[in-house]
Amino acid sequence: MAKIAYYPGCALNERSSHLDRSARDATVRLGFELDELDTWTCCGAVPPVSEERVMNLVAPSRILKDVRDSGRDILITICDFCYNTLKRTNFIIKSDEITRKRVNAFLADDTPERDYLEKDDSLWEDYAGEVNVIHLMEYLRDELGYEKITESLKRSLKGLKIAPYYGCVMLRPQNEIQLDNPENPSIIEDFITALDAKPVKYPYRTECCGSYLSVSSPDASTRLCYRILTSARNSGADAVVVSCPLCFYNLDSRQKAITEAYSDFKPVPIFYFTQLLSVALGVEYGRQGFEKHYVDVTPVLDKIGISTGKGGEE
Amino acid sequence: MFEPKIVCFLCKWCTSAGADLAGTSRLKYRPNGVNIRFMCSSRVDPEHILWAFHEGADGVLIGGCHPGDCHYEDGNYKTQARVSLLNRLLDDFGIDTRRLRLEWISAAEGAKFANVMNDFTEELRSKGPLKLAVREMAK
Amino acid sequence: MKRIGVFVCHCGINIAETVDVKRVAEESMKMDGVAYAQDYIYMCSEPGQTLVREKIVEEKLDAIIIAACSPNLHESTFRAAAEEAGLNPWQCEIANIREQCSWVHSDREKATSKAIHIVATIVQKTRLNESLEPIPVSITKKALVIGGGIAGIQASLDIADSGYKVILVEKDSSIGGHMAQLSETFPTLDCSQCILTPKMVAAGKHPNIELMTYSEIEEVSGYVGNFKVKIRRKASFVDWSKCNGCGLCMEKCPAKVSSAFDRELATHGAIYVPFPQAVPNKPVIDKDSCIYFKTGKCRLCEKVCEIGAINFEQEDQFVEEEVGAIIVATGFETLPVADLAEYGAGDVPDLIDGLAFERLLSASGPTVGEVRRPSDGKVPKEIVFVQCAGSRDPERYKPYCSKICCMYTTKHALLYKHRVHDGQPYIFYIDIRTGGKGYEEFYHNAEEEENIIYLRGKVAKIFRDGDKTVVWGTDTLTGRNIEIAADLVVLATAVVPKDSTAELVKKLRIQTGPNGFLAEAHPKLRPVESINSGFFLAGAAQGPKDIPETVAQASGAACKVISLFSRDHLEQDPAVAWVDEDLCGSCRICISVCPYDAREYDEEKEIVIVNEALCEGCGSCVAACACGATQQRNLSDSQIKSMVTASLGGV
Repeated sequence: MAKIAYYPGCALNERSSHLDRSARDATVRLGFELDELDTWTCCGAVPPVSEERVMNLVAPSRILKDVRDSGRDILITICDFCYNTLKRTNFIIKSDEITRKRVNAFLADDTPERDYLEKDDSLWEDYAGEVNVIHLMEYLRDELGYEKITESLKRSLKGLKIAPYYGCVMLRPQNEIQLDNPENPSIIEDFITALDAKPVKYPYRTECCGSYLSVSSPDASTRLCYRILTSARNSGADAVVVSCPLCFYNLDSRQKAITEAYSDFKPVPIFYFTQLLSVALGVEYGRQGFEKHYVDVTPVLDKIGISTGKGGEE
Repeated sequence: MFEPKIVCFLCKWCTSAGADLAGTSRLKYRPNGVNIRFMCSSRVDPEHILWAFHEGADGVLIGGCHPGDCHYEDGNYKTQARVSLLNRLLDDFGIDTRRLRLEWISAAEGAKFANVMNDFTEELRSKGPLKLAVREMAK
Repeated sequence: MKRIGVFVCHCGINIAETVDVKRVAEESMKMDGVAYAQDYIYMCSEPGQTLVREKIVEEKLDAIIIAACSPNLHESTFRAAAEEAGLNPWQCEIANIREQCSWVHSDREKATSKAIHIVATIVQKTRLNESLEPIPVSITKKALVIGGGIAGIQASLDIADSGYKVILVEKDSSIGGHMAQLSETFPTLDCSQCILTPKMVAAGKHPNIELMTYSEIEEVSGYVGNFKVKIRRKASFVDWSKCNGCGLCMEKCPAKVSSAFDRELATHGAIYVPFPQAVPNKPVIDKDSCIYFKTGKCRLCEKVCEIGAINFEQEDQFVEEEVGAIIVATGFETLPVADLAEYGAGDVPDLIDGLAFERLLSASGPTVGEVRRPSDGKVPKEIVFVQCAGSRDPERYKPYCSKICCMYTTKHALLYKHRVHDGQPYIFYIDIRTGGKGYEEFYHNAEEEENIIYLRGKVAKIFRDGDKTVVWGTDTLTGRNIEIAADLVVLATAVVPKDSTAELVKKLRIQTGPNGFLAEAHPKLRPVESINSGFFLAGAAQGPKDIPETVAQASGAACKVISLFSRDHLEQDPAVAWVDEDLCGSCRICISVCPYDAREYDEEKEIVIVNEALCEGCGSCVAACACGATQQRNLSDSQIKSMVTASLGGV
C-alpha cells in the first residue's frame, strides 16, 4: 500500500484525535496509508502571517526539509492551520530568495552536524521549497479522484443534507493556497456529493467562526457561530461538516453558550469530513469518537440507519 | 563590474514599439543594449547574429511579435525556425546558446522589454565576457 | 564621400537631463562621413526645423540624422523638412535617443555613451542609404465597417454621406448594438431608441451603405488602400429577399429561448427578430433552439409562411470584397455576473447587471417599463446599486475605471424613483466621477432632490436570504458596516471588450492593449487610428466610452477614412526587396517565404524577381536568400553589418 508522508500537527495528536483516527481509517480503505513523520514539531500555527518573518518560518521549514531529506515530495496535512502554515511557508521559501537564505542559515546552525558543516558546506543542501504541501481533501479530489470514493462506498449517505463550512485559512490567501475560489468554493460540496449526500448551500459557509477570539472574547465567537449555524439550519441542513479542528471546537462546543444566549437556537451536529468519509466507507461506528462531540450526532445518523447498525456495519 | 555588450534586433511593429512604451512609461533598465530596428524579426539573417558575436557582442537579443501577431503573417515563425537551427551550430563556434535570446514582446509590453533587458544583462554578467578564438587570433 | 549632418535634440530636458547632448554632437563630428553636427533645444519646433533646412544648404549636406525621439513620432516631420531643403526624404534618418535611451536610463555617463553608439549605428546606415522614390499604389475607395452599434452606424453614415461606398458588417441580425437596449440616456434623459432608430433606418436605406447583418469577418489580407476581405454570411434559414416581415412565424413558433437582447429577462421563439425596431426587420432561426433542427419535426413556421420564405436548407455563404480602409467598431460587453464569486456568482435571482436594469426600465422591455424584479415580479421597495463591480480592482478583476457607471447608476436610481415614488435606492460607490457636460449637475440633482442614498464604500458580499437579497458593505465615511436586505440589487459590472474582439484582431493583425481593448496609434494625437495603417477605431472597442464620445470618435474615424479616399493614390514605402540579377541562382526559396506573393519566377531572365507593388518590405526573403542576391533597399546586409559593428563601438 502506498505510503504518503503525513503531518498530523498538535490538535490531531490530542484534542482532535478522532479527526486523525478517522482519516487513517478512511485512507487505508481507499488504498493508501498516511505515514506519520518520524519526528515533527509544532508548525507555528499563525506566525507566517505576521510581520517579522524569518524566525517564525524556521520550524515549518525544518519539517518540510525533513520530508525532502527523506526522499519524498508530497506532504499531506489535515488541520487547516497546519496546511495554511506549511503551504505558505513553502511559498515564501520558493519565491523570496533572501528569506530562503536566512531561514536555511538558521536551519544549518541548528543541525547536529553543524561542526562538520563548518568545515565542508558541500554536505548541506538548502531547502528550496521542493515539497508539495497537500490538504487531505485536495489529495482526495486531485490525486485519488472523488469518483474513486463513490466507487468505494460501503454505505450510502443518501438522504443526508450536509452544510459545508470552510472557515478562513483553508482557502486564503488565494494566490498562495490555490485550493479553490475563496468567495465561491466547491471542494467540500463536491466531496459531500461524492458520498451520496446532498450539499446545502448557505450564505455563511465562508464567514469567520471567531477563530482564536474563542479565547480572548468568547462572546464574539458565540455570536458568529450562532449566525453560521442558524443560517445552515435554516437552509435545511441536518449537520455541518468541517476540516479544521478550531472550527470544530468553535462550532461544536460553543453551542452550549449559544443555547444559553439565544432562545431560538436549535443545536446542529458537527462532523469532521473524515468521519463522514470513514462512516461511508464502512468503518465501525464506535471508532469515530462521536462521544467527544458536544452535540449528539446519533439522531442524524439514525435518520439513515447507521448508528443502529442497519446501515451495513462491517 | 563586467558590463556585457548586447546587440538587439527588434521588429518595428511590436518589440521596438514595446521598447518605446518602456520609455514613455519611464521604466528604468540596464543600458547595455543598442537597438537596431528592422521591419520584421524575419529580416534577421543568422549571419547577422554571428557577425555581432564576431564584432564583440556578449549577447544578442531578437525581439518579435507574439506568435500569431506578426504584421507580416508569419515572419516570427521563420525567425524562430532560423534561431533554432542556428542554436545547433552555436556550440561548435564556442558560443553558449544562452547568449542568444529570442523574445516575443508586444507593443503593449514595455515592462516586459525592460525586464528582459535587465534579466539578460544579469545573465550575461554571470557568464562573463564571450571569448571567441577568432577574436583572440585577430588580436 | 557623403556629407552627413547630425542634429541632436535636447527635447527640453527630456533628453538633455540624462544625455550630454553637447558631447553626443562633438563625438558625432569625429565619425566617418559626418561633416556637421549641432545640438538644439527643440529640433521639431519651427526654429529647429529651420536650422536643419539652413544647414543642409549651407553645409552642402547629402544626408541628415536627427538624434531625438522615436521615429514613430517625427520621422515624417523631418523627412518633409529634408525634402523642402532639396534632399531626398530617404536621406533622413532618426536616431532614437529618447524613448530607447534618455527615458530609460538614469546614469548620465552610461546614457551618453549609449546615445553616441546609437548615433554611430545610424551613421553607418545613412552612409549607404540610396535616394528612393515612393511607390504609387491605387486605392479602393470603399470602406468596411465592422460592428453595427452606434459607433459603426455613425461612421458608416458619415462616410456614405461624403459619397463613398461602405459595407457595414454586423454579427447579430440587426444593427443597433447596446444603445438599442438602453431606456433613457444621461444626462438629458432622451429616450435612447427615439434618437437611435432614425439613424438605424437611415443606415439601412442609404444608397451607399451595404448592410451585411448576421455576418462575420472570416479573413482579411492586403494592406492600406487594397484590402481583400472574406465575409461569412451566416445562414438565417429565412430568405430575406422574400420575407415581408409579417411576423406570423414568430407568433407560431412553439420554442422558448431566453432573449439575449432582453438580458434573459424574457423569451422569444427559435425564429425571432431581437427587438421590434430591428433593421433589417427580418427574422432568423436559432438552429440550436429550433425544434425542427433538434428533433426533425415541427416546421410550423414554414407552414404559416405564405410566401415561402423559410428555407431549412440554407447554408453559410461567403462573399469576398475589396476595400481600402477598415473601421473596427466592435463595441463592448459587461463582465458576466457569474464571474463575481463574492456577489453570488450568478446564483442570486434578484441580482442583475446594469444592462438588464435598462431593459426593466425600457418602455419596450419585458415589463413595459415597470420595475419588477425577476424572481417573483414584485415591485422592489429597496434597491441597492453597486458600482465598480469588477472595475478598479487590479488584484482580482479589471484595474481600470469603466467610466460610464457613475452616470448610468445615478440615472438608474433616478428613473427608479420616477417609477416607484416610495422606493428607496442606495448606491455604493468608490468615487463619483462625473466628467462631462451637464454630468455633475445631473448627479447633484439626483443626490439632493431625489433622496438617493449614496454610500461610499465597497460591497463585500451579496447573497440570497429568503426572498431578500442581502448586501454587506461598508460606509467608509462613517466607518460603519452596513447590511441591507434589499428587494433587488443592480451591479454596475465592468465594461470589457466583446469576446469576439480577441479573435477578430488576430485576423486583422492589429494590436490590443493589456486589457484587450483596441490599441490606438498614439494615446493623445492619433486616438482613432490603429498603428497599422488602414485600420481605424471607433467606440467602446477602444476603451469604455459613453454615447457622445463614441459618436465623436466614430465621426473622427470616418473623417480619417474620407481623407484617405480623397487622394488619387497612396505612396508605399520604397524600402522593399530587390534582386542582383547576376547573383540569383533561382533556387526560389524566396518564393516560399514571401507572405504576399511578391516574389515571382521570371521565365525569360531565369531569375526570381520582386513585384514592388506587392512587396511590404518585411525582409524575410532577404534573410532567406542563400547567395545574397536579394537585398533590401536601405537595409542591405552590408549596412546591417556595419551598423552592428558601430553599435558595439567598433567603428
